[in-house]
Amino acid sequence: MNFTVLDWAIVGLYLAASVSVGLLGKRYVGKLSHYLVAGRELGLYVGIATLAATEIGTITFMYNAELGYKYGFAAFAAAMISGLVMIVVGRTGFVIRRFRELKLMTVPEYFEIKYSRGLRIVTGILVALGGILNMGVFLKIEGEFLTIVSGIDTRHIVVVMTVILLLELVYTVLGGMVSVVITDFIQYVLLSVATIVVSIYAVYFAGWGNIVNKVTTVMGDAGFDPIANPKFGLIFLVWQILLWFSVHTCWQTTAMRMFSTKDPETSKRVMTWTGFIFLGRGVLPMLWGIAALTLFGTGALTGGVPAPVVNGHTLAPIDAMPAMLANILGPGIRGIVVAGMLAATMSVNSSYLLGWSAVISQDVIMPIRRALGRGALSSRAQIFVNRVANLFVSLFLMFWGLYYTPPGAVYLYLNITGTIFLAGAFVCVIGGLYWRRSNVLGGYLAMLAGAAGAIIPFFFLHWSENVTGFAAFGLAAGGLIVGSLLGRPKVVATEQLASTD
Amino acid sequence: MNLWLWFWTISLVVAGTSFAFITVVVTIKGASDLKNWFSSLQRQNRE
Repeated sequence: MNFTVLDWAIVGLYLAASVSVGLLGKRYVGKLSHYLVAGRELGLYVGIATLAATEIGTITFMYNAELGYKYGFAAFAAAMISGLVMIVVGRTGFVIRRFRELKLMTVPEYFEIKYSRGLRIVTGILVALGGILNMGVFLKIEGEFLTIVSGIDTRHIVVVMTVILLLELVYTVLGGMVSVVITDFIQYVLLSVATIVVSIYAVYFAGWGNIVNKVTTVMGDAGFDPIANPKFGLIFLVWQILLWFSVHTCWQTTAMRMFSTKDPETSKRVMTWTGFIFLGRGVLPMLWGIAALTLFGTGALTGGVPAPVVNGHTLAPIDAMPAMLANILGPGIRGIVVAGMLAATMSVNSSYLLGWSAVISQDVIMPIRRALGRGALSSRAQIFVNRVANLFVSLFLMFWGLYYTPPGAVYLYLNITGTIFLAGAFVCVIGGLYWRRSNVLGGYLAMLAGAAGAIIPFFFLHWSENVTGFAAFGLAAGGLIVGSLLGRPKVVATEQLASTD
Repeated sequence: MNLWLWFWTISLVVAGTSFAFITVVVTIKGASDLKNWFSSLQRQNRE
């Protein structure tokens, strides 16, 4: 066991404070828009905190550190693209300004406004499926982190992760977005402190000169130049640009923060400033991975990179970073860092639980009810349906998330599962907002071609992630253009473009 | 390679500094933001 009593006390205190504060949110929830989009009243600073906390989890630290370990400084390209694209989206208001003006609660809701109820349901199913499968790998990897850093026996990790999931479930189900935002604020502060502390420790212990030398020796030019690196290259960079434009505009949990801001201008500013945080969100954990390579990369070569060997045990590259933390952090600091990582875990999981269950209830269950001729549910009844959906998503995650192991680099697996719906959704949203000719047939073709373009090449033809991702966006765009030119355009009146509470 | 190293070093410094700076600003100013948000939610509930 690596943890001392002090470390346990810090982690216990954080968990108690986080859940107590989260439960306070319930008293402010009066209607559905409070539960899903925080009453659309978030200001700049809380908006930044909740958006950053939502998209920075232990999973983020783990997959970025793995990329740094395997590909050196060249991996920084992915991090820089994610941040710079976010800044561009924020500065221009590309998609997000129009979305905020429409007062949406979910991304697929737009599909009924612009296209049809049927396409909203299809998109809702694809978004929920892709999103939940994406989230499905979080628990196992977060559990690995906790096991290695704290030294908890691996036999107990299922119980520990189940308890953590239940704790975040309690306040998410009861207080919805209000509770999530309150806890996100505390969790953002803690995870940021942990990120800064770990970065300082990593560079101090590994040494900047040693870090550069290790990457030079092991990888040569490929460790610095993303175009020369065989895993990346130009196609990867273009795919990443497309992917991050789609994530920052159409990813349900990110979009919900934009819908929750008090006006379109605030949503743009939140996105812009969070873009700067996103630079660090990627680059800093990648640096930890490179530091872990420098300190522990002494094993047999696997894929051209030496496996990490820590205290005589050979580990997988993704486990090198937590093993490094277990070795370099002292008592007390280790507790603060693990509390910060738990904060990151809980903020992501609670936001994702809310995001995907909102899509299931608002974009699948409610539209199907209306299609069957049932009347609209009251705000209170819709909140109840959301809570039940939340419970089902959690149950799925408990069973799938703790036992499924993703193949290859986790970052690329997450990118591909996201692309299953992001390629089509992004193309449909762009077409819907900026191309008058786009229509329902084009929308269906884009969603189906985008999903097929991600699933078939990756899972059946075993193409590389880069080519698969690129193909998915290309096929989705082709589907929208061909379908829209063949079908009749749908005219949407401005007064239709308004959502309800 | 030297050019790339310089580029990544500068990127790292910019990313790390902006991460730390924004954390401090959000932590300090976020509290009053939260207070205003709670007031808005209470007002909406009364209406």
